[in-house]
Amino acid sequence: MIRFEAITAPDATAPSKGVVVRRSWQRQLLTFLMVAGPGLIVMEADNDAGAVSTYMQAGAEYGLRLLWIMLVLLPITYFVQEMVARLGIATGQGHAAMIYKRFGKWWGRFSLIDLLFVNFLTLITEFAAMSLAMSKMGISPRIGVPCAAVGLMVLVITGSYLRWERTVIVLCLIDVVWLVLAFMAHPAWGTVVYNTVVPGFPPGRIDANLVFMVIAMVGTTIAPWQLFFQQSCVAEKRLRFSDLKWARLDTLFGAIFTVVVAGAMIIVGDYGLRHGLHFEDPAQLAMALAPVAGNLFRNAILLLMINAAVLGTTAISLASAWAYGEVQGWPHSLHKKLWEAPGFYAVYLLCVLAAAAIVLIPGVPLQLVIVSVQVFAGLMLPSAIVFLQLLLNDRALLGDEWVNKHWNNRVNWTIIAVLFALSLLLAIQVFFPRLFG
Amino acid sequence: MATTQTNYSQKLFKVVHPLDDQPEEKCRAEGIGPLLMTRGVRISLMVLRAYLTAMTLMLIYHVLDLSGILGK
Repeated sequence: MIRFEAITAPDATAPSKGVVVRRSWQRQLLTFLMVAGPGLIVMEADNDAGAVSTYMQAGAEYGLRLLWIMLVLLPITYFVQEMVARLGIATGQGHAAMIYKRFGKWWGRFSLIDLLFVNFLTLITEFAAMSLAMSKMGISPRIGVPCAAVGLMVLVITGSYLRWERTVIVLCLIDVVWLVLAFMAHPAWGTVVYNTVVPGFPPGRIDANLVFMVIAMVGTTIAPWQLFFQQSCVAEKRLRFSDLKWARLDTLFGAIFTVVVAGAMIIVGDYGLRHGLHFEDPAQLAMALAPVAGNLFRNAILLLMINAAVLGTTAISLASAWAYGEVQGWPHSLHKKLWEAPGFYAVYLLCVLAAAAIVLIPGVPLQLVIVSVQVFAGLMLPSAIVFLQLLLNDRALLGDEWVNKHWNNRVNWTIIAVLFALSLLLAIQVFFPRLFG
Repeated sequence: MATTQTNYSQKLFKVVHPLDDQPEEKCRAEGIGPLLMTRGVRISLMVLRAYLTAMTLMLIYHVLDLSGILGK
């Protein structure tokens, strides 16, 4: 699909902008750098506040024993998001729009409303984490949370997709600090490698808590908003058919980076376990680790918590705003100024402001919010992923070139069956906790 | 998108950012009619409906249980 043109005699339709390089490898590297972004962002933004809490809890309760799960989740998350990138490139439209167009209004509305609802509840948890980390750092949440909300709004209203993308990529790369913390925790690296490649469970501890920790890790790594976000992001970036291989590499790189960072979070949680520290949330662990590891370690965890929440908030809010704009037929693009796409920006701003405001209400039932996120994500993920799989088999829409191959379908239906079972199991646990003792 | 030239001595490549490139024709849903309801699609949607119904019934049961209406 690569188009060749003579530079010295460009035709009238040839793009005037571009970078001229001499070597083939330079062309490939530059093309990758220009295409990369959506894959890395969607993966790393999924290491949000809830993920930080889940992975650190996994380390604190089971040490390094569950590291192998991250290795199993790596291809799963890649396969799912690769389909999203392929569909986005082939259609140039978002996931919500495609569900509406191919499955009708009923399924379209169901998907949209469920997405908006679960995203909004997740946003509340992101701001709650920000508030918690800020208060541990001595910053009043009444000042810090509104400042974060304003910063998140300014991030998108500049009228430049690239400015937003570059800023968010920097925030993603800040998560490299998790790897530094993992090294500072001095784990037994032989054990780390062994537990990463050899599946197993802690002996004598296979119970309901372990099962639901595994489900929580899977649910944290594959979230419904990711499907909507990456497809809209790919459409927003106007990726071309010839970019598909680079978009796949971007997604693979993002998946590897995210899983490695998640592994580092488990190692930091394990550090707490080795020092006999018990905690309810990562902020508590950070405070408890200060006498052992120093204030730098404590502040790094707290800042990384805030970073994770900021990343999650901007990606999730954008997923909602893009989806709503696509379905309503409104202008929905970060390329547009505030007054050119008022509905799109209003949804984003409303999501951010309302979630931030709710967190500042004293006595807000956060536990109810977290349980509701689990329930509605359980509703959302299997349905969104089934629509994705069916769309990728829609030969009338995509033609023979872009539809799933047979092996794709076999892998994806297996993933879908597992996700259905896990979502159902999680829902049963939430609704009937007594069943599991 | 890459652009290249052979000008007797040297090959050059022009790399264009996706946002600066010409728009290309995409796969369009308009005018191709509704999704073909093959057996696979029908079964998938049926399973999805059953799953959503089961989840909704569990949710209703849970709410009734919490409210004490079920008399526990």
